[in-house]
Amino acid sequence: MCALTNNSSHANSSDEVQRAQRRAAVENALRAHPGVREASAVFDESDHLAAFVVPDDGFVDDVLGRGTAGSTLVSKWRKIFDLSQFSKDATSTPVGFNTMGWNSSYTRGAIADDEMHEWVENTVGDILRLSPKSLCEIGCGTGMLVMRVAPHCDRYVAVDQSPAVLERLRQQLRTVPVVAERVEVVESQAANLDGFDENSLDTVVLSSVVQFFPNAAYLTKVLEKAVNIVRPGGHVYVGDVRSLPLLQAFASSVELFQAADELSAGELRDRIRRRVEREPELVISPAYFLALRCSIPRISRVDIRPLRGRADNEMTRFRYEAILHVGHEDAAEFHDDFLDWTERKWTVDNIRSLLRQHPNQRIGIKGIRNARLEKDLAAMAILDSADAGYSAVELRHRAEQSAQQGIHPQSFFDLETEDLGFAVFLSWAACQHDGSYDAFFIPSESLCGLTLPAIHWPKPDASEFAHLANAPGQLKFRNELIKQLLAHCSQNLPKELAPAEIVLVDMLPRTADGEWRRKSC
Amino acid sequence: MKGRAEIREFVQGLLANSGDKGALADSDSLLFSGRLQSIDAVEIVVFLEENFGIDFAQIGFDKERIDSIDAIYALTQSVAKS
Repeated sequence: MCALTNNSSHANSSDEVQRAQRRAAVENALRAHPGVREASAVFDESDHLAAFVVPDDGFVDDVLGRGTAGSTLVSKWRKIFDLSQFSKDATSTPVGFNTMGWNSSYTRGAIADDEMHEWVENTVGDILRLSPKSLCEIGCGTGMLVMRVAPHCDRYVAVDQSPAVLERLRQQLRTVPVVAERVEVVESQAANLDGFDENSLDTVVLSSVVQFFPNAAYLTKVLEKAVNIVRPGGHVYVGDVRSLPLLQAFASSVELFQAADELSAGELRDRIRRRVEREPELVISPAYFLALRCSIPRISRVDIRPLRGRADNEMTRFRYEAILHVGHEDAAEFHDDFLDWTERKWTVDNIRSLLRQHPNQRIGIKGIRNARLEKDLAAMAILDSADAGYSAVELRHRAEQSAQQGIHPQSFFDLETEDLGFAVFLSWAACQHDGSYDAFFIPSESLCGLTLPAIHWPKPDASEFAHLANAPGQLKFRNELIKQLLAHCSQNLPKELAPAEIVLVDMLPRTADGEWRRKSC
Repeated sequence: MKGRAEIREFVQGLLANSGDKGALADSDSLLFSGRLQSIDAVEIVVFLEENFGIDFAQIGFDKERIDSIDAIYALTQSVAKS
């Protein structure tokens, strides 16, 4: 794969001018194509000219046909959720706890009730910390959140596109009139929020639903509308988001779990690659949400948080929540430096002592190894270097034996209950591919009642912005666009200027001084 | 009325689309084995609705009933009899 580069410092000034002219010619030619939003031409290490292109979503949707394919995919998911409620088991679920369709990727069976209870209670807690009074939940399903959050709200609009799912929700609401009187049930797709006035609500929730959106462009349209609905000071909560930086680790983890003992490392690597390629759900980088501030200016701040919970499952390990703060000027912002966990490898006990020694100080720690993921990452590392004949059972055994140094994120949340006098906040905004995270401890009394303080978290590397989401089912549209662009360059540029390669990216990553980033894309 | 051969051809097409060229016995699990994904189940459902007039809202839906060629064929037979 080509790399973004700028090696002009090694050339003399005449060469430099020529190269700049060649780059400009290619960029101008590409920008003239309606399928291109942004383009940057660069020379790779072999001195070949390559072009990085941000596609125009409208062109890909309307001209190449991705929009129609996306609508088909949305309809398919609706059908799946309808079908989940046609099961005989769906009629006998407890009120507010219909988990039909919540299946483990590992076992393909239902996720255990106790794990689902923990997930839903933690999700509810995180939403209630936003103090919602007028809320719209997009993709409400059969009402696990509705039944728990609506009693705290004056108005709760429950939106879902599946008629069978909504019928099940209505049945449940009829049994709890005190909740039902606050809830409006609306059958609609997520992208169709035109019935709401601007600034009419304080909270929009999309929990465990964006993975069923067809592509990131669709998600952006939904979030633009959601942010528009929310009045200043409110929030858009996007929960249970599948993490793109952890997609490889997730696929490896599932395939290793499912592999027969004798399966070879070579075949296992193939299965992992196929799982990533065939991933039918939308998997999103935290960098996507951080970058949204550029395209949706009403977003004043974004928090990216790993999920709470002790349960060991794919939600707690590979998913996160993004909180978009809308039009809100924070009275207090925390710009503190962060200690580097990798230098000291503190334990929870070390950190507890640190907090006790400095009861009035804010303390930030970055790069904390994530105990939830250590075995998965160890298995990945062993697999990467294993001979093709190495067996799955040997891999599992060696991964089990690997050293555990990390800290479980829930251990930090548990510190809050120990009367240390600190509030704890965690972040996954740095997009570390090993799932490591950052923590910030604030003396409770200095919070002055703030539940979501503005913390300046460590930022991701600029290269993280090149790929913001996977592209489920979009290979043919991407290939078609590249084919058109190569033909367009051939027709509009002298042969020696035509780029050798065109790479589609979600954004053009820049370094702090504006240079294109010399990083693999 | 279509039969087992048409069901088999349809399922093989789905597997081929997902890059699965492995052997397929009529009793082989499709969904619980992971050879097909949930999103593929929709294709099977629509195929059964359109070609066999099956209404899952009426008869109920469980993945077991479409998890193999044998199961799908049995489902079409039971609906035809009723």
